[in-house]
Amino acid sequence: MKLRCLLFLLLSQIGQAGAAGDELVVIGHSGLPKTDKLTLQRLYTGRIVSIGTQAVVPVNLPAGVAVRDDFLQMIMEQNEEQYTGYWLVRRYVGKGSPPKELGSVDEVVKHVTTTPGAVGYVPLSKVPPGTNVIFKR
Amino acid sequence: MLAALAMPAQAHDLTWSGFGTVGFAQSDQAYKYQRFIDDQGTFKRDSVIGAQVDLKFNQQWGAAVQAKLAPSDHSDSQWQGFLSWAFVSWRPNDDWLIRAGKIRLPMMLNTENSDVGATYDFARLPLEVYSIAPTTDVIGVSISKTWLGESFDWIAEAYTGEASTYWRYYGRDRTIDRNSPGSWFLPIDMKSSGLVLTARGFENTFRIGYHEGEASRPGTKTGAGFEKIPCGPSECYMLSAGGVDKLRVPIVTLGASVLLPGDFRLTGEYAKAKVESASRGLSRWGGYVALMKRMGAWTPYVSYAKTKSTDDALGVYQQINGNANTVPPPLRSGQTAMADITTPYDQSTLALGTSFWVTSKSVIKAELSRVRTGIASSFVDAPAGSDSGNRHINVFSLSYSFSF
Repeated sequence: MKLRCLLFLLLSQIGQAGAAGDELVVIGHSGLPKTDKLTLQRLYTGRIVSIGTQAVVPVNLPAGVAVRDDFLQMIMEQNEEQYTGYWLVRRYVGKGSPPKELGSVDEVVKHVTTTPGAVGYVPLSKVPPGTNVIFKR
Repeated sequence: MLAALAMPAQAHDLTWSGFGTVGFAQSDQAYKYQRFIDDQGTFKRDSVIGAQVDLKFNQQWGAAVQAKLAPSDHSDSQWQGFLSWAFVSWRPNDDWLIRAGKIRLPMMLNTENSDVGATYDFARLPLEVYSIAPTTDVIGVSISKTWLGESFDWIAEAYTGEASTYWRYYGRDRTIDRNSPGSWFLPIDMKSSGLVLTARGFENTFRIGYHEGEASRPGTKTGAGFEKIPCGPSECYMLSAGGVDKLRVPIVTLGASVLLPGDFRLTGEYAKAKVESASRGLSRWGGYVALMKRMGAWTPYVSYAKTKSTDDALGVYQQINGNANTVPPPLRSGQTAMADITTPYDQSTLALGTSFWVTSKSVIKAELSRVRTGIASSFVDAPAGSDSGNRHINVFSLSYSFSF
């Protein structure tokens, strides 16, 4: 019985560690301030273009990428259909186009770290040391 | 602006998209409704194809150009390329957005995106309301200020601009210059300014607007009324001489779209315009209410729309139309033409339809609608020797709209 309990605890810890490694975070170019979920929702829907007093430019991953699905679900509280539909209308009422899409998580990391004002979302496990994490749940 | 345009090409972020609708509509009547729909069926009423380019020069400056190919606005037989938008935008911060160039006005809830069928569920936006503004596109400036709230974003948008457009007339017996039935298009210069307040939440939208238009005819006066002159043994109505250089066209717009429990959505819009001209039937109100329910990919809906010219305008139409039966036969067509120039509206439409979303960017729509005219309706090209009053028209519409 004790052995089973120990095994269960061990597996639970491994599971949590794995989840923590895949946790979604939002990174920003160096110097961007920490932010919150509401601000990110407004930023990724084009309703704001800055965090605090600093102008920012968000980037997306392409539709169908699991990390994007997680971001839409956890941060935007929308599914792909709702988010695409929102931007479809917003584009055609002349209020701008959706955030630029980059092909991979590595591209997002590279873009955000090298482009002033850039913001993107990536799994925590892919964040290089020293990167500015501006939102973490 | 010039500084933004002069930035290196690599600093520009260009995206383009396309949209279109292939729409078929057929009625059970031999005469035309909404310019094109009759019992032969037509693709011309609802079909459109277009493209849009969005350009970001930097974080504050951008531009957009939208062009489309659709049936001409000054000919019933031709297609025409339109430049719907071509504006430069400046967003100095979160709250302010300034656009200059050719812009589409925020009249009704779907006016700005009306050409893109993949942005709404209706097979056809209710013409009773969406046709009230003499023009929806102007060359001018728009300034909007946004206040972000917990439940709603409040957006105040002021605009001013001008446009050259056409008012369509249909003479059931003769046109203004031909002794045969047909349409003609009067060139009109419009100046328009307005203020629109929108409260937009994730699920609900409310909008109220006041628009002040000024219509004039290039090189001539407008707004003349009618006068009675002797013609043979009786009297005839004729367009009186004179008129004014400019006509004031005030328009009020209201709209709301609300999500109800059970995924039902209730949408209602209302508009009222006043035009003091011989075409006094353009002084009218229009409104509709629609109830729809999203059920997976399907969104069935039912809507009821109505528009009616002022009692005064319909009275003038009835007087002149009635006079056509009292004058000698050779003069009759002249009187019905005068009656048609009053541009009367009195009709309602009950529609039952559904959209089926194939993807989030493409949708198939089908609709059955029953149109009933009262005293008269200028949406109907009445058969020769008759008029557009007291008619029932059943319309079937099927369309596929997409964006990419």
